[in-house]
Amino acid sequence: MAEKPIQGEKRVFMTGNEVVAWAALAAKADIMYGYPITPQNEIMHYWTRMAPKYGKRFLQTEDELSAGFTTLGGVLAGRKAFTATAGPGNTLMQEPLSMAEMMRIPSVVIIQQRGGPSTATVIYSQQEVTMTTYGGNGEGFRIVYSTANHQELFDYTIKAFNTAWKYRFPTFVLGDGYQAKMRESLTIYDPEDRGIELVKTEPFIGKEPVNGEKQPVHIRNTYNTEEELFEVITKYLEDYTRITPEIIEHQEFDCEDADIVVVSHGVVSRAAKGAVQELRNAGLKVGYFRPVTLRPFPADRLRAVADGTKTLLMVESSLGQMAKLVKDAIFGSTVAIATLFKPGVGVTSEEIVTKVKGML
Amino acid sequence: MSKTVKIALAGEGGQGVQSVAEIIAEAANEEGREALYIPNFGVEQRGGVSVAYLQIGTEHIGSPKFQKADIVMALSDRAVKRTRQYVDERTTFVYDTSIEGVEEELPKNAGRILGIPAIEVSKNELHPRVFNIIIMGAVIKATGVVSEEEARAAIEKKLGYKFEQNPDLRELNFKAIARGMELVEKAQ
Repeated sequence: MAEKPIQGEKRVFMTGNEVVAWAALAAKADIMYGYPITPQNEIMHYWTRMAPKYGKRFLQTEDELSAGFTTLGGVLAGRKAFTATAGPGNTLMQEPLSMAEMMRIPSVVIIQQRGGPSTATVIYSQQEVTMTTYGGNGEGFRIVYSTANHQELFDYTIKAFNTAWKYRFPTFVLGDGYQAKMRESLTIYDPEDRGIELVKTEPFIGKEPVNGEKQPVHIRNTYNTEEELFEVITKYLEDYTRITPEIIEHQEFDCEDADIVVVSHGVVSRAAKGAVQELRNAGLKVGYFRPVTLRPFPADRLRAVADGTKTLLMVESSLGQMAKLVKDAIFGSTVAIATLFKPGVGVTSEEIVTKVKGML
Repeated sequence: MSKTVKIALAGEGGQGVQSVAEIIAEAANEEGREALYIPNFGVEQRGGVSVAYLQIGTEHIGSPKFQKADIVMALSDRAVKRTRQYVDERTTFVYDTSIEGVEEELPKNAGRILGIPAIEVSKNELHPRVFNIIIMGAVIKATGVVSEEEARAAIEKKLGYKFEQNPDLRELNFKAIARGMELVEKAQ
């Protein structure tokens, strides 16, 4: 058996789905559970092609409900387990992932967003933001990284395993069909060679006896009384609030003196970045803000940016799912809000430039 | 800041536009340039027009798809209709002259329109199987995104194992690149 999947650092040129499979290998994931759905299929394909060489496993289940629950089972057994899905598959997976929230199971899920609602398109969207951040019957005790390019897809897939196992909240990498299917360059590496420590896993159940005594474990997702549940949820909120400053990530530039700040996330932020740079080169006071974590959301920083500018222009490939998170974060601010929403369709720099110029 | 070149290649399934885009993207990446290639993909199992979106530049590339292309290459009647939306006054629109009755469909707003007899040359002069390599030659001549040498190296990398068994294939492929470049040169 080969030792390390990635020796040294390597510049590669591949699809995003292949990147995810490599990242999961690099993060020493043990097993993937999955059910096919476009545009994430090739994560499974590459994983099943590469993983057996390194003693890793794969189980194809009968649907996404099962893929989600088996992932939780793998995690409970102490395995670094993950799954990947999209669109209607993501909808089905909210059931097991609510359970992961309730039981604090560090599952890792890669989402490659496609058009919605329902089957819609198999191509692309940013319409799974609400579902990925707050789906299921719960309070959204999850961590969601929204990536924009292949390097981030690699980096944050590795990071997702660490975040999940360190903080014990279900963790998502939110990509999309463009990122899934396009090819571009990135550098893949072994995280430990770069000094990135991989958080150790441990079984939740089936622990070794101590002094001949069995060690029973009781992980609940059912509570008898309202008060019992309230106590647990209150504790989870405390935990979540406490770790939020350590988890939130964002990128920004040129916001200090900006009259308009373009807010976008994921693959759309590539277009926003180019647009803001072009507008700045033309002498226009425009800034760039991009939440990398959508849950928890970098609320304090965005609130400060909102207070220092005149207008936030929100750009996304949905009818305002990110914008809802933004508005919640900046509640009370008097900043004006403008939008460029293109549900299920990509956004180009040229469109953002035209939009901004029309506003000035 | 040097500009990113945006290329849309469209044809019928089997004409090989996706593999051409992929080979060119890989060749550019090998040279240390930024390249991004994404195919169109949908639910159709057959019968759709195949479009490849390719961008090559020196800086990080923005959105994966684009509204207007610098070069559009359309290799079938339906591909011409499908790709008119990517054309503006700066676009070079290249189509195959064997497509019958397509003149009326050509985008009038294109910066320039070039007709090349790639299908005919592949059939009568070289071999139908190198049709997409002729197209590759045409693309690199029209855009200058990679040199002929780089294109050759990329093909060698891709098909080298086949060339080992049959060196004539190498000659045929390299000739196809050169012919594709020539076709664009003549049409200009």
